Amino acid sequence: MRYLYLACFLIVFGQVELTAQERQPVEFNREIRPMLAAKCFACHGPDESHRDADLRLDERKVAIDFGAIVPGEPDESELIRRITSEDPDERMPPPETGEPLTSQQQRLFRTWIQEGAVYEKHWAFSPPKKHPLPPISDTSWPRNAIDNFVLSPLETAGMKPSSEADPYTLVRRVHLDLIGLPPTPEEADAFVADDDPHAYENLVDRLLHSERYGERWAQPWLDLARYADSNGYEKDRGRSIWPYRDWVIRALNADMPFDQFTVEQLAGDMLPGATIDQLLATGFHRNTMLNEEGGIDPLEFRHYAMVDRVATTGTVWLGLSVGCAQCHTHKYDPITHTDYYRLMALLNNADEPEILVKQPEIQSKRDQIEQQIAELEGGLVKRFPPAAGERPIETRSQENFETAYTQWLTDARTKVHKWETMTPFSWETNLPRLELLEDGSVFSSGDITKRDVFRLRFDVDASMLPVSAVRLEVLPDERLPGGGPGRTYYEGRKGHFFLSEFAATLNDEPLALNAPPSEGNGGAAASNATNVIDGNGSTGWGADDLVGRPQQLVLNLDTPISQLGELQIELLFESHFAASLGRFRFSAVSANELVVPSGFPPGIENLVTRFDELDEKGHERLRQYFLSVTPKLAEARMPIDELRQKMPTFPTTLVMQERPDDNPRQTFRHHRGEYLSPKEAVDPGAPVFLSSDGSNNPSNRLELAQWLVSDANPLIGRVTVNRVWQAVFGVGLHQTSDDFGTQSPPPTHPKLLDWLACEFVEQGWSLKELLRLIVTSATYRQSAVTTAEQLQSDPENNRLARGPRFRVEAEMVRDIMLRASGLLSTEMYGPGVRPPQPASVTAVAYGSPKWNASVGADRFRRSIYTWKKRTAPFAAYSVFDAPSGENCVARRNRSNTPLQALTLLNDQMYMELARGLAKVALSNSDVEEETIRYIFRRLLVRPPESEELVAIEQYHKRQLERLQLGELAASDILGEESATNQQAAWAMVARALMNLDEVITKP
Amino acid sequence: MINPQLQLTRRHFFRDCGIGVGKIALASLLADNAHAISNAAVSPFAPQESHFEATAKRVIFLFMAGAPSQLESFDYKPKLIELAGTPIPPSVIQGQRYAFIQPDAAVLSPRFRFSKHGQCGAEVSEVMPRLSEVVDDIAIVRSMHTDLFNHAPAQLLVNTGNGVPGRASMGSWLSYGLGSEANDLPSFVVLRSGGGLSGGAAMWSAGFLPSVHQGVAFRGQGEPILHATNPDGFDTLAQRDSLDLIRSLNQRQLGRVGDPEIQTRIDAYEMAFRMQSRAPELMDFAQERKETLELYGAELGNGEKSFANNCLLARRLAERGVRFIQIYHAGWDHHSDVEGGMVKQCKQTDQACAALIQDLKNRGMLDDTLVVWGGEFGRTPMVEASVALGRSQGRDHHPQAFTMWLAGGGIKSGITYGATDELGFHVVENPVHVHDIQATILHCLGLDHRKLSYRVSGLDMRLTGVEEHHPVEALLA
Repeated sequence: MRYLYLACFLIVFGQVELTAQERQPVEFNREIRPMLAAKCFACHGPDESHRDADLRLDERKVAIDFGAIVPGEPDESELIRRITSEDPDERMPPPETGEPLTSQQQRLFRTWIQEGAVYEKHWAFSPPKKHPLPPISDTSWPRNAIDNFVLSPLETAGMKPSSEADPYTLVRRVHLDLIGLPPTPEEADAFVADDDPHAYENLVDRLLHSERYGERWAQPWLDLARYADSNGYEKDRGRSIWPYRDWVIRALNADMPFDQFTVEQLAGDMLPGATIDQLLATGFHRNTMLNEEGGIDPLEFRHYAMVDRVATTGTVWLGLSVGCAQCHTHKYDPITHTDYYRLMALLNNADEPEILVKQPEIQSKRDQIEQQIAELEGGLVKRFPPAAGERPIETRSQENFETAYTQWLTDARTKVHKWETMTPFSWETNLPRLELLEDGSVFSSGDITKRDVFRLRFDVDASMLPVSAVRLEVLPDERLPGGGPGRTYYEGRKGHFFLSEFAATLNDEPLALNAPPSEGNGGAAASNATNVIDGNGSTGWGADDLVGRPQQLVLNLDTPISQLGELQIELLFESHFAASLGRFRFSAVSANELVVPSGFPPGIENLVTRFDELDEKGHERLRQYFLSVTPKLAEARMPIDELRQKMPTFPTTLVMQERPDDNPRQTFRHHRGEYLSPKEAVDPGAPVFLSSDGSNNPSNRLELAQWLVSDANPLIGRVTVNRVWQAVFGVGLHQTSDDFGTQSPPPTHPKLLDWLACEFVEQGWSLKELLRLIVTSATYRQSAVTTAEQLQSDPENNRLARGPRFRVEAEMVRDIMLRASGLLSTEMYGPGVRPPQPASVTAVAYGSPKWNASVGADRFRRSIYTWKKRTAPFAAYSVFDAPSGENCVARRNRSNTPLQALTLLNDQMYMELARGLAKVALSNSDVEEETIRYIFRRLLVRPPESEELVAIEQYHKRQLERLQLGELAASDILGEESATNQQAAWAMVARALMNLDEVITKP
Repeated sequence: MINPQLQLTRRHFFRDCGIGVGKIALASLLADNAHAISNAAVSPFAPQESHFEATAKRVIFLFMAGAPSQLESFDYKPKLIELAGTPIPPSVIQGQRYAFIQPDAAVLSPRFRFSKHGQCGAEVSEVMPRLSEVVDDIAIVRSMHTDLFNHAPAQLLVNTGNGVPGRASMGSWLSYGLGSEANDLPSFVVLRSGGGLSGGAAMWSAGFLPSVHQGVAFRGQGEPILHATNPDGFDTLAQRDSLDLIRSLNQRQLGRVGDPEIQTRIDAYEMAFRMQSRAPELMDFAQERKETLELYGAELGNGEKSFANNCLLARRLAERGVRFIQIYHAGWDHHSDVEGGMVKQCKQTDQACAALIQDLKNRGMLDDTLVVWGGEFGRTPMVEASVALGRSQGRDHHPQAFTMWLAGGGIKSGITYGATDELGFHVVENPVHVHDIQATILHCLGLDHRKLSYRVSGLDMRLTGVEEHHPVEALLA
């Protein structure tokens, strides 16, 4: 039976470029390393903590010094003695860990040692070489270099490539590959009829320039980016990060060079003069999940997000499973436990804000409305209820206004106090970084926790004495979540804050504070301002209705401060979610009475107190304020209020923002990967095995990004071209596109992979040029028809002796139907939309959220724009193996199941499209055969064969008869009372044909 | 036609290459392409040989989402009555993080009376009177502990072996490792009642395993399987006619192109049709005897009886060869009024849990059906109260100690295993980690949790993670 195993090994993951006839010296990478990795490295590999007998076989010198290997002398080598030993105590690998090496494997080890026991670097860790094109006999076949690499081994094996696919197959195939949508029958016919010898190349060129291209190729990238429109975990609330998705589509359509594409996504914020686009590109690593469950430790889940970022970076740009080094040194690949955290440190020094995307279109609409408001405000005085009398109404309105304004002002002046801003001279916190702004306010950034403490110190100078009350203003700021004033970004409302306790000392002596009256100090009952001095951390001040607006809290001192000294104010923010303040300001006042908040915005209060010294501008501001609040103008202001309601808001998106130099985030090695077991701090750096000479070793995120797309990373070209190859051929040249490590099977065409990797970089990292090269090759253009002989000798098509044929991805299944139905909306970009699906799909999720299906054109947008909820993915996609966005996916499953059949047969969404398809078909022709042909070709492109026509016609006839007999009801099938039997029968035909394997398969 | 030797090679790969079901580097490839061969023997659901002889053929997992209080059900702590109202010594708490409460919160005494039941004398509280009658058929594990103290992560840990979404769930592992014995039904079915689930769909995801192994969540109302009903206006004949057309055109295409995947698609459509036909029969409780319905307290269409209905449905699914039946019942997160909450949830679940044991036993199915009951963690001996959140007399999340029970399928009956300290705070005897329970479940199904692995991105993934865990020998009959 063993020969079967080996034969199978060669077929399934052998390099087809190699030939069996020529017996070359044993190749370490191909023949020895996989055995060492599978059988030996677990105990004798890179991982120190699991190493037995101090022997490592992954380093030649150690193995020789140990005596395990004596080059040239297999009989002297302990390794040979052990693997062939009959004694179970001696035998390696130990009997309990699995089967012994086969005699074939033993012989390989022996020959290898005999030949000198040469070690080679794992192939993927050496830079790719651009091998010369291999010699071939049939020089007429190749269309470009790819074909030489494919044909050469075929010829050696005495095989031939398949003939070219017929033009209908080819035009459908290349449409699906480049733009993800089938051609219309008209487009296909035009191509087939085109006798220009470059017709195919011209078609490829046209498709590469289509905007549909970016929509199709964004999907595999978003799989890697684990993109979704919700936060994941329990609550799985929605998030706004679609501007990142749109960035990907735009970048792909513009054919942004892949090195730039990489740098902008990993570190766009750190580029000099970063543009808004470069900033929102960093959403790549903001696609990690966010746990909003009650009572979590936010930093713990931030740590898990970092773990995900490291793993994703490894998979996408290194093709390595660095993830296993989270807990211990990698058992097979040379990535140490410390390497892992060094890599994490490179990515770990960013803040994670949500920013406004100030789109110019929205900005100009806003400016327009502001302009209208200003005009309306300018006319408010004229609308003031006039005084009685005969004079012109404007004069009388003006008069009344002046009277009312003077009255208001007189009243206001009795309520205000002359607050002096207090600027802290020093501060400390448990973790957040505080920064003093020019207006004397304090801004908080960096990490926050469920229990934050701010301690600020102020000099009390003579001008302030006596201080009878202190005021805390909490201030909105567009840099804060929800606009502030708080920093809550999960669980609670964005921008919420919760001040639990307020304490003050003067020269280290506690100051007694008067309970602040609830009146005037905003806040609802459970979060009343009086709670901040009750000594109970679980009560406090702060509520959702305080979000987005400035508020103030005034605390009167029992005894005014009458001496110079150092005033310290301590703010405690304690809640079951992180809720400290984002921006705030302190001021002090001298007053003889208990001070209550005036109710005026601080700026206005300030103007009122300085009324006597105001310039005209100041007066004008006060007058405008009065006009904006006086009840007398409530009705006149309504158009203004309406305009404000209409003011479009900017969308937000999640980005990375490198931290300022004074607030670096330390990264630690975590014992066994556990959040609660941080050990020593580590410095940022690339894995040692890839940066052995120490030059250009990255020290921050930007340098990491640049390093990943530099010559220093031997994997980048291979990993990238391999994923593109995989998308086109179904399987990569290197099968495990997510793992190029030592344990992965070798590529089928290593030289082709290397050649493409080099060519890709030489062509300026252009994905479009790479695709052009692939789809114009003779290899790609082969027919996919599989002969029985091929099925036997090469069932997986590893030798590429035929064209690719496989079921398309989930989203493309729907897009094909949309296009065929004539209902596809080509509108691009913007927030996710919701195609119809049964309510029960999302009902399973937390809180049983409703799925309000989009109406109008949004219902028929391309699938890339479908709103993606992680805990309840769109059912028609997940059934076809679409990932949920919970982790980075480099290669999807491709299953073929009854549940898929049920979806295409019975899902109302598809029934709706079938009706659409029947409708366009009927409008096209009323000749029965033409209608069949049209429906068939909208779905399959090629013309039907006569037997197919007959079968469909019979089906149609039978259904029509049943409809006419009343056994079936047209109105039920079409969902319309006015439906005719003909329409219903054609919808049934469309629906049946939509279920053909060929429709959802790339031919 | 397909070369028989090729089939042999594939089977050989799975069985004879000596590195276990999932150890082969390209198992995923093989599993995916197993479809490529139109032979039932290599379908991804083909029955696979277990690692050793199994004591159970299937599992019914009654997952109590939200974490029921062990201190009100199975873990009686009279000391808490004595200490009620006083804080727990900091030496016991040792810096443990809590979701909501402060560690110095006062002790809350057990809300219910406990007494000994059955031959075995197991201690169960009065809130579970029916379960108390079957304690001789179950094994109570009072020494459970877990790593995570928030719902979603802790639920994911129990269901998928990891706190972060994206791993393969227990049911998918079993479907993958053992294949299916259900012809017209999925091998892994999910039933839900009681409200939304923190862990979400990730709890029955196939993760990195071939997606055919993901749990199929039955719907609460109407057709149990999504899209198992014809579109409006289509009767069975119209559906059959359509399938015949689809079949004949697909077959032509198979002849033309030769891709065996087309044959798999043809088979999938036939299977879909059978699933559609079988679903109504599955849901037809009229086939049950009146006494059986009464035993469970089941009543189809009555939302109040969802859990009872699901337990009965679970038995019917088990009879039809479904490998893993995952029942979720949410509503156990009693941060406030743990007493009222327990009464309410037990009213919905106690009778049906006991009925399931009895019914399976009466039918001789308990011998090869493993039933497991439990939540994601325990609840604190300390009280949770908060004016701001409007909570009082509740208990917070407690990962250090909780209780589960198991029954049938090779589990010893009538035992109580493990113990906590006198406060019910820490496990002091025979600790059982969540991964140990998973290893035990796999063991009963004849699978070695160390060998059931799957290569993904160069890592050999296992349900029980990388640390060392063991089946709990003492629980095995």
